[in-house]
Amino acid sequence: MGAELYFEDVRVGNPLPELVKGPVTEVQLVKYAGASGDFNPIHTVHQIAEKAGLGGVIAHGMLIMGFVAQGITRWVPNRCLRTFKVRFAGITRPGDVITVSGRVTDKRTEGGQNLIACEVTAKNQKGETKITGEFQAALPSRGNR
Amino acid sequence: MAKVGYEFAPHSFTIERGKIKEFVNAIGDDHAVHTDRDAAKAAGYRDVIAPPTYLTVMDNWSGPDFEDRCRELEIDPLKVLHAEQAYEYLADIYPGDELTETSKVTEVSEKEGKTGRLLFIVMEKSYKRKNETVAICRTTTVVRN
Repeated sequence: MGAELYFEDVRVGNPLPELVKGPVTEVQLVKYAGASGDFNPIHTVHQIAEKAGLGGVIAHGMLIMGFVAQGITRWVPNRCLRTFKVRFAGITRPGDVITVSGRVTDKRTEGGQNLIACEVTAKNQKGETKITGEFQAALPSRGNR
Repeated sequence: MAKVGYEFAPHSFTIERGKIKEFVNAIGDDHAVHTDRDAAKAAGYRDVIAPPTYLTVMDNWSGPDFEDRCRELEIDPLKVLHAEQAYEYLADIYPGDELTETSKVTEVSEKEGKTGRLLFIVMEKSYKRKNETVAICRTTTVVRN
């Protein structure tokens, strides 16, 4: 972790430090199923995923959202996060290497909070988008440390 | 078929440090604020903090499981995918917190997709610690034809 991130240091257009995750493995999907309690068998049982027309097991969307969250909280402290939303734009499969990136789209002071808004994406090694999303965070100001 | 206004029975869950550790391990998020109390305190938290997507654990482990949820919503489990997830964070969540979750269906809509008719179900979930709402979540599920 670097030094504390202050509102004054953030500019619209600033990139989020990139985070590369993976490759996603089938074992990871089993671990995530157990940890999260999401036992939808399309994530762990090949025959069922085939029967569902998915051509094999697919990652939990929430696992990939977890990757994005990791990318965000490496830069913005967890406690500063106010909103975080994603759209699951594509299916992630075992073998996919996921890169989380993003950039600052807005900053403003509202209701006494110093807010930044950022867009985020998760893409695989082929550049296929798996998640698009955005988050808002309230940052400390150098003025009232 | 899922109906707007349908409410799931409220359920409760106690946040545990071991379960947080299992969850971040599955994601591969090695940020020490989630697993090491001293590191968390040094970063200004009162204990290890639950990561941004952690409440999915409560959804799945204390509420109806995936199969039950599909049964209650009268949807085919093989046809279900996760479309969107949106969190609003109102307070930090720590081990020992006893949370109660309420959830209800707020929107049901149909769209014509590339592969046929798609049914979208939006659920809103609210998480309370005593009378304080600590987070709100909107989940959109898509049911393929």
